[in-house]
Amino acid sequence: MPVDRDAARALTDTLETRLADALRGDAVDRRTVLGAMGLAGAGAAGLAGGASANGGGHDQDGGDDHHGAFGARGEYGDGFDPHEFLRTFNTGYDGQSNLTQRVYEEDGDRVREFEVNAVDTTVEIAPGVEFSAWAFQGQVPGPTLRVTEGDLVRIVFRNGSEHAHTIHPHLKNTNPVMDGVPTNGPGVLEEGESFTYTWRAQPAGVHLYHCHSLPLKAHIHRGLYGTIVVDPDPERVAERPADYCDSHPSQVTPELRDDLVAEAETRNHEYDANDDVDEMVMVMNGFDTNFDGDNEVYAANTRAFAYGVGDTDGKGDTEPRETVHPITIDRTERQRIYLVNTIEFDLVNSLHTHSQFFDYYDHGTTLTPTHDTIDTIMQCQAQRGIVELDYGDHQPGLYMFHAHQSEFAELGWMSFFEVV
Amino acid sequence: MGVTTDRATLRRYAGAALPLVLLALLVGWFLYAPPLSGGAGEPLPQVDVSHTTLPDSETVRLHVVNSGPEAVTVSQVLVDDAYWDFTVSGGQTLAPMERATVTVPYHWEPGWDLGLTLVLSGGATVHHTVVAPQPTPAIDAGLLGDLALVGLLVGVIPVGLGMLWFPAMRDLADRWLHAVLAFAVGVLGFLAVDAGFEALEVAESVPGAYEGHLLVAFGALGTLLLVQSVGSGRGSSPLGLAYLVALGIGLHNLAEGLAIGSAYALGRASLGATLVVGFMVHNVTEGPAVVAPVAEGERPALKHFLALGALAGAPVVLGGWIGSAAYSPTLGALFIAVGVGAILQVCWEMGGMIRDRGRLGTATNLLAAGAGLAVMYATDLLVAL
Repeated sequence: MPVDRDAARALTDTLETRLADALRGDAVDRRTVLGAMGLAGAGAAGLAGGASANGGGHDQDGGDDHHGAFGARGEYGDGFDPHEFLRTFNTGYDGQSNLTQRVYEEDGDRVREFEVNAVDTTVEIAPGVEFSAWAFQGQVPGPTLRVTEGDLVRIVFRNGSEHAHTIHPHLKNTNPVMDGVPTNGPGVLEEGESFTYTWRAQPAGVHLYHCHSLPLKAHIHRGLYGTIVVDPDPERVAERPADYCDSHPSQVTPELRDDLVAEAETRNHEYDANDDVDEMVMVMNGFDTNFDGDNEVYAANTRAFAYGVGDTDGKGDTEPRETVHPITIDRTERQRIYLVNTIEFDLVNSLHTHSQFFDYYDHGTTLTPTHDTIDTIMQCQAQRGIVELDYGDHQPGLYMFHAHQSEFAELGWMSFFEVV
Repeated sequence: MGVTTDRATLRRYAGAALPLVLLALLVGWFLYAPPLSGGAGEPLPQVDVSHTTLPDSETVRLHVVNSGPEAVTVSQVLVDDAYWDFTVSGGQTLAPMERATVTVPYHWEPGWDLGLTLVLSGGATVHHTVVAPQPTPAIDAGLLGDLALVGLLVGVIPVGLGMLWFPAMRDLADRWLHAVLAFAVGVLGFLAVDAGFEALEVAESVPGAYEGHLLVAFGALGTLLLVQSVGSGRGSSPLGLAYLVALGIGLHNLAEGLAIGSAYALGRASLGATLVVGFMVHNVTEGPAVVAPVAEGERPALKHFLALGALAGAPVVLGGWIGSAAYSPTLGALFIAVGVGAILQVCWEMGGMIRDRGRLGTATNLLAAGAGLAVMYATDLLVAL
């Protein structure tokens, strides 16, 4: 989405001026008192300048209410954009421009090949806060890969980082050489080394890939993880429907089978039915910036509050910022979130949707929900699942969603859908 | 002859200036064409929170200083583990040694601890806990009046009352007068030790770059030398010594006032009757210490007594005002240390006076000094600010 930086800056300036004016009155009063005592400047709070862009919270009239002043201050710089990442899928046919990818046939298999590197870089995790990351393809989370069940996934991995890395798939991989752990196959890959991993895309679902070098805590929390979505193959679903639900083959009725196939078609990016679903990837992650074994930033897709409202006065008025604004969704569409938890240092993470109940497919490996009609789901590290949302009954407006660990929410994992 | 002398003088000055000139050249070279390739690695950022003020229920102010050698940027602020809006006076980036006020619009609750964290651009965090927060009173005529009244009650009046022992002291035999002087030394010794510990305690919250402990040590030592040099000019006349004692006690009371004022400023003062009474009882012992040097010989004019009382007691009022308006641990630690130095010098001086008039190390004198310490310790129990 093109953004108008100049317009945003002008707005910021206006708000800053207004705020500075509002505050200056107060400062003068204090200084006058102090000056009369001959103690001017001695420790008096300097208030002018450096005003916040969080305009609404500082209205002169409503100046005594600051409950809307939560959240990170300021704008993000250039670099990884969670809003773009949200709906970017790399299928081998197409995807993000900085990821070389291709699709070809090999011995009757369709191969989806991606050239992934690992690099040392920095990522901005809250406005103005840089984190020294190790990153697949220079981004955290790594590129989202999307294939169809039964394909071969081939990763031509080249390690450009100073540290040794691997790529470990959360797939049903039957060849230990390809497991991407230090003990198997090529083991860890040092700087400049390459290895080509090939995995069968199975089972259908939403899966994870990550570096498995030791110390594991560091290699995961520094940013080496990404999502692999394996779309179900409707033809295979028609043949083996019991694999995709919790019914015994003898219990699968023709109606159930048809439902499963139809659901598989909405999931599979090669079918038209999939076009009607607004699909998003959210990797719940966090960053320990001060090495105390606790995260200072939590987020969906790295940047704290990037899907937040922007500015608010806590009285119902909001003002999106250029880099901090809600995810716009169309209430006539169905929404699907591929939700992955990669949080380190905390036992669980969660998603809670306001004013909304959803169906949840744990690991995405079934085509019937594993949880019906819930508004909160919990995941441990590496757990993931598919969230199916329908805002068709809702009035347009803002609907919050966030981790329901309040601490995580207030440290950045707080987001909004703007339903239109 | 004159020309030669001028030349010789010039040569002497040039010789004295040469190292400085060379140093200036060397500094210039390092500043404009650094011969080192930037050094090894990066220094760690260091930001210190000297104190917080809470002007109203919606505002938290952190007074910070960048104590590190490089500029730092305060990118975000957390209140109790939640990102919160904030402003930084003078902008978010602080140059080395730059002070700034971080203002956070947060509805805090009295008595509930506030955890404040500054997140710097590199992810480093600076944490500060406001324990049991209370509103910082606004500096107005009412507050200043209160502090003046408190200062009078705990400083001026007790010292004045203590000085009323003067006529009784004049009737004492030498032996007992010396004991009174020794008692005063005990009183002052207690104050010096007590204030010394307090100075070191306050020094803990002095920003690292100011080297709080050194500030305290050399503040005390420097004052001792300074007062000694003043005293040496006036000789050791009894009245001169009385003024020195008053000055030393006055500097100590300034620090005491500072503590009261800053407790007020930080919303920490509960000046109940017990505390005020405690201070009065505590400080009444400072009166005889001031007048003891002049108890022998000719009685000085009344104006001297007024001046001595004001010099010793009134600084409580001044200290209270400074403490409430411009509280800073750096200033606080320095003031207290200055008081310590002044008192130590006075102890020295009074010991000398007893020695000049008789013997210092008599059992009576030693016990009297011990009694001074004991009385101060006992009355100090009444004072818990």
